[in-house]
Amino acid sequence: MAKKKAAFYTMTIPALLLFFLFHTFPTLQGIFYSFTNWDGYSDSYDFVGFKNFASLFTDGNVLNAYMFTFKYAIVVTIFINVLSLLIALGLNSRIKFRNFFRGIYFLPNVLGVLIVGYIFNYIFANAVPMIGEKLGSEMLATNILGSEKWAWIGIVIVAVWQGIAFNTILYLAGLQTIPRDIYEAADIDGAGTWSRFWSMTFPMLASFFTINMVLAMKNSLMVFDQIVALTGGGPGRATQSIAMLIYQGGFQGGEFAYQSANAVIYFIVIVIISVVQLNFLQKRELDA
Amino acid sequence: MKKTISLVLVSALFLLALAGCGGGNKNSNTSNGNEAAGKKVELEFFQNKTEAKDSFDALIKKFNEANPNIHVQQVNPPDAETVLKTRVAKKDVPDIIGLGATDTYAQLAKSGIFADLTGDALLENIQPSYLNMLNKLIGSDSAYAIPFTANASGVIYNKAIFTELGIEVPKTWDEFIVAAQKAKDGGKVAIYQTLKDAWTTLVPFNSLSSDIVGIDFYANRAEGKIKFDSPEFREVAEKQLKLIEFGQKDLFGKGYNDGNTAFARGEAAMYIQGVWAIPEILKANPNVELGVFPFPATNDEAKNKVISGVDTLLAISKNTKHSEEAKKFIDFMLQPDNIQFFIDQQKAFSAVKGVTQSDPSVEGFNAAFESGAIEDFSDHYIPSAVKADTIIQGFLQKKDVDAYVKQFDTEWDKVANRK
Repeated sequence: MAKKKAAFYTMTIPALLLFFLFHTFPTLQGIFYSFTNWDGYSDSYDFVGFKNFASLFTDGNVLNAYMFTFKYAIVVTIFINVLSLLIALGLNSRIKFRNFFRGIYFLPNVLGVLIVGYIFNYIFANAVPMIGEKLGSEMLATNILGSEKWAWIGIVIVAVWQGIAFNTILYLAGLQTIPRDIYEAADIDGAGTWSRFWSMTFPMLASFFTINMVLAMKNSLMVFDQIVALTGGGPGRATQSIAMLIYQGGFQGGEFAYQSANAVIYFIVIVIISVVQLNFLQKRELDA
Repeated sequence: MKKTISLVLVSALFLLALAGCGGGNKNSNTSNGNEAAGKKVELEFFQNKTEAKDSFDALIKKFNEANPNIHVQQVNPPDAETVLKTRVAKKDVPDIIGLGATDTYAQLAKSGIFADLTGDALLENIQPSYLNMLNKLIGSDSAYAIPFTANASGVIYNKAIFTELGIEVPKTWDEFIVAAQKAKDGGKVAIYQTLKDAWTTLVPFNSLSSDIVGIDFYANRAEGKIKFDSPEFREVAEKQLKLIEFGQKDLFGKGYNDGNTAFARGEAAMYIQGVWAIPEILKANPNVELGVFPFPATNDEAKNKVISGVDTLLAISKNTKHSEEAKKFIDFMLQPDNIQFFIDQQKAFSAVKGVTQSDPSVEGFNAAFESGAIEDFSDHYIPSAVKADTIIQGFLQKKDVDAYVKQFDTEWDKVANRK
């Protein structure tokens, strides 16, 4: 018994120490700095108590970043899950070149976010307007990323295009855990395609649906790289996510402590959302 | 149980070994010069100008060849100012730093990360006006950096288009608008604008603001004596809006690189930018005939100045182990033939006495430099947390002057209150 335990300790303790060193410790440091007025580079700082937190709640830019991030995250999560479930269903059926298509659909996942972002930046700036001009469409002939109203759609397109790949793989794995024989039984009972999907496939995928929803939501709440590559948070502050605001205000603006306070609040918000989401979806899993 | 403990210890040792690897590298980087004179001294030269990367590399190569004991390595990441701040936060300051005289420099200098060079021999040949500019920026008499080159911004124009359409170089705001209208009527884009990159909105803003409200406006604003919501500043805002009437189609969707290429291809008559864009334009089309003139922000010719600041200053980290070698490198850069090589390539102006810029493309600024009709960049006096470029970019989309001046005031006060 002791031997077994020792093996488990050897496996967990280095990981625990590494996690603490590179993850927990910086988090604690961030919480510490959020109570100071450190600018990020000076040698000295003072403690200011809860002043940073009080300022946060009166800062319109913070509210603006939250509004953008949530709007973006909800839309991206829905699109990624619907589309990747559809693609997974397609890739799971008996079609020609199935493995080839699986490879193609997974490709975006192995490309770097920034590279994809810069490629799309070029597409939005040059390729799309060129097509738009040929079609005589005023809307398409301008760079969507330069529009205060629509720039966020451009970021959604890039995030969904790339995010689908990973979620498709998870759904595909889920589909393969469903035993074939229940479909045979359904065929005998005369179930149609839709009722087969809705009352058999989807419930059997419940746990994969949960994890995909949580992952897609969490990833899009942290959106950063796509914005750096596409708009830099602009025009104005139209596409400034919370992570972007923390980075820009904290480092470019020299308000490290203030944005640390912002990050602490955001950390709490994300924890609450994840717990609620997991609870709700797991309950649904049981019901199903 | 004994076994458990030993395994824990083994894993701890393993971790320490890992940590040791990381630490070891760092030490060897910083201490090899001290230990053995025969070893090469590695110096990191961090600078923020992408446009000047190749010019610096050429000079560095020359320096490394002349000094076999020293090896200088240039680091020029994208978004360099932010990268530098993150590195300073990590206490990992490069040995030699090349920066513009921006708010970032002011903050870093005030925080004391640069070596104090007051009274150093390196300062002897530098033009005093640029030294004063740096002192004013950080509000101190100590010299934490050596001005290397100066830039100038105004209007870059396409000489061929001007001749073709019979446009005269304008000297006042009214003449400028007439010229722009003429270009527009002639079927050309009058002023190419790159509003997708927020920082480029600062170039016309700096001319308008420095000429109309003046640099002291910002010192007065900091003391609360004046507000952005004032008739003077509203004039700046109105003129900013007027400019975008003369832009190309999709001016919000184009960035700095698009602007340089489009202007090089002769798509536009004018381009409001600094001389730093000229090498990029010439790279895209070496045959384009271009000239420059001071941006005429007002109808009073005497007020229309060239906006000029220290484009690159060279500073040494306070904590570098190799300050002698770093000084040697800076001294090398300040040698007249080296700085001449650099400003010829970059179309910049020299901060070293006796070295002049004679390139015909920028001779439009010479009169202003000779008579001293130059003024510093306004945005260097706006705290960077206010994010003037973001505010301006948003304003040009919404075109609401009232909201704009109020936003400047509220953001300024918010930042001041958080200090």
